Amino acid sequence: MLELLGDGIVTVLHWKYLLPLIMGTLTGVIGGALPGVTITMTIIVILPFTYGLDPLAGLAAMTGVYVGGSAGGLITACLIGIPGTPSAIATTFDGFPLARKGQPGRAVWLGVWASFFGGLVGGLFLILVTGPLATIALAFGPWEYFSLFVLAMAMVAGLAEASFAKSLIATAIGLLITIVGTDPIGNAQRFTFGSEFISGGFPFLPVLIGIFAFAQIMTDVEKMRQPRAQGEALAERPTLSVAHLKVIGEILSRPFLFIWSVMVGIVIGVLPAIGGSAASVLAYDQAKKFSKTPELFGTGHPEGIIAAEASNNANVGGSLVTIMAFGIPGDAVTAVMLGAMTIHGIQSGPLFVSQHPDLAYGIYAAYILAHLLMVLIIWASSLFVLRLTTVRLAVLAPVVLVLCVIGAYALNNTMNSVYVLLIFGVLGYILVKGGFPLAPLILGLILGDQIEINLIRAIMTDDNPWLFLTRPISGGLLAASALSVVLAVWQHYRHQKRTAVEQDVDF
Amino acid sequence: MRLGPDGIAGLVGLAISLVLLPLSFGLPKLPIVPIGPGFYPAIVLAFLAVTSAALVIQDVVAQRRSAVAGEPAAGPRRAYGLVAAAFAVVTAYIVLLPQLGFRISTALFVATFQFVLERPATLSKWLILIAIAVATSLITYLVFDTYLSVLLPRGRWTDW
Repeated sequence: MLELLGDGIVTVLHWKYLLPLIMGTLTGVIGGALPGVTITMTIIVILPFTYGLDPLAGLAAMTGVYVGGSAGGLITACLIGIPGTPSAIATTFDGFPLARKGQPGRAVWLGVWASFFGGLVGGLFLILVTGPLATIALAFGPWEYFSLFVLAMAMVAGLAEASFAKSLIATAIGLLITIVGTDPIGNAQRFTFGSEFISGGFPFLPVLIGIFAFAQIMTDVEKMRQPRAQGEALAERPTLSVAHLKVIGEILSRPFLFIWSVMVGIVIGVLPAIGGSAASVLAYDQAKKFSKTPELFGTGHPEGIIAAEASNNANVGGSLVTIMAFGIPGDAVTAVMLGAMTIHGIQSGPLFVSQHPDLAYGIYAAYILAHLLMVLIIWASSLFVLRLTTVRLAVLAPVVLVLCVIGAYALNNTMNSVYVLLIFGVLGYILVKGGFPLAPLILGLILGDQIEINLIRAIMTDDNPWLFLTRPISGGLLAASALSVVLAVWQHYRHQKRTAVEQDVDF
Repeated sequence: MRLGPDGIAGLVGLAISLVLLPLSFGLPKLPIVPIGPGFYPAIVLAFLAVTSAALVIQDVVAQRRSAVAGEPAAGPRRAYGLVAAAFAVVTAYIVLLPQLGFRISTALFVATFQFVLERPATLSKWLILIAIAVATSLITYLVFDTYLSVLLPRGRWTDW
């Protein structure tokens, strides 16, 4: 394993891969720092650039975006009090007060080093656990896969903050999109109504880009007339120089806090379709509960920054585990990565590590190196990145939309994918306005084909439907799905008396 | 019976599933596969129908409760007109892309989109708007068409 990892690192250090990784990490840091631009949006923007690259170079760029973006949000969170990404929300609670106390460098670097170490422990988990998990998954038959995918969807629907019925409808819409076109076994046309345009079904990436990019940009556009939340200015050019060893010592002298936050991040990352924002907020909350000085949280307490940042970068490692071991995306960012792998003809799932060890260990290596690059990039450019946050939405939005159009068009050089982009852009925005969560929809969209194929395979192997329940792993997974649904319904009724307010969507 | 937006959304979901469900039963059976191509769609559509019906019921109950509790407070004002205009500009861009070609339509799109979101008040702002539009078009064209070998659309009307 170490030898393969060493080979992977040597490979990625080659300029062919290192340059995309550097560019990806830099773009991730900038995208992460820009309020209103999420990591998902940044990875969508970078997607068309990866089409012409070698698969590992493209995936290295995306891994860089993911790692850089997870840390980039802390710059604006600490220095102007506005989280660059939802995963940096919890960092704002203590990062900004600490910066206002005259210690902006300490605030930023506590976050950066916590991200660095948290990400590396997450990486260790990724490297050690993916292989064994994939081996377990290899023993799965179609019954187990079907039940695993059902569990993933049940969990995502249950964990979404929207109403449970809406989450289930969103899942159904995602599944329904995959049904349109030719069926996977007999090539019969389904719900195409004789149209050439949809005879091959809806291509995955334009649907994904349309739903996420348009929904986010248009949601930002509708808020343009509102008075903007202005971050309180610190010094004109705040100095970020600190004694790095002292800051690292501050983090490592709190081993329980650090390890617990990392574990929270990894577990949330492994759960399908829950992003870094949930990880960081949960880790922050846990840190406060376990702290000897909970009253200091919110006033610039280092523990708050360490918990939030260690957890949101460890989350990246957890998310990559699920995509590499099971082919199930941990969140929207890994969903785009999954789509990019498909473009290059790579099937993610339990056979991925054994069939493409060079690629798998290349991704691990890119993940580790991206953390080093992230530290270097933030060290060299955090104040420059801060200046970039003044770019107006009126400039940013059309440029992002142009890149989305290129991303859809370049898939197969036809306008059809661009039309699909627009159609699903409108649908995505309508769904967001209707309070439908996008995560279950995306998971349904990704898993729809696989669910159908495994269902048919299972029935073709043995037409006894009870096997889904009587095979131990399959039955256990379905029982867990049922438990997840029951818990979600119970939670829904428990929170029913909450005031219904329009919530910001976590893209 | 009064319906809110959730109830209407539920009815739309119910209508879609009820229209498509009979079609899924009509799909041809395959000789070697015990279940036809309509089997799985029927499950998904039935699932959509049930969850949509649940949403309608939930909304009816919620509407009755809110009628008793009074109207909820209005949320922050949103610029939906701006969103509609933004969608219109994007649609026009996508329609004109194969006619005018990537370079011209992208420059026009970026300029119009900026204008719709923030009208420039001074000459220098107009110049910046135009510069951003032209630069976006040229840089993306150079990067993708020239360096990354992505053949971007040429215009039917302009051949450019």
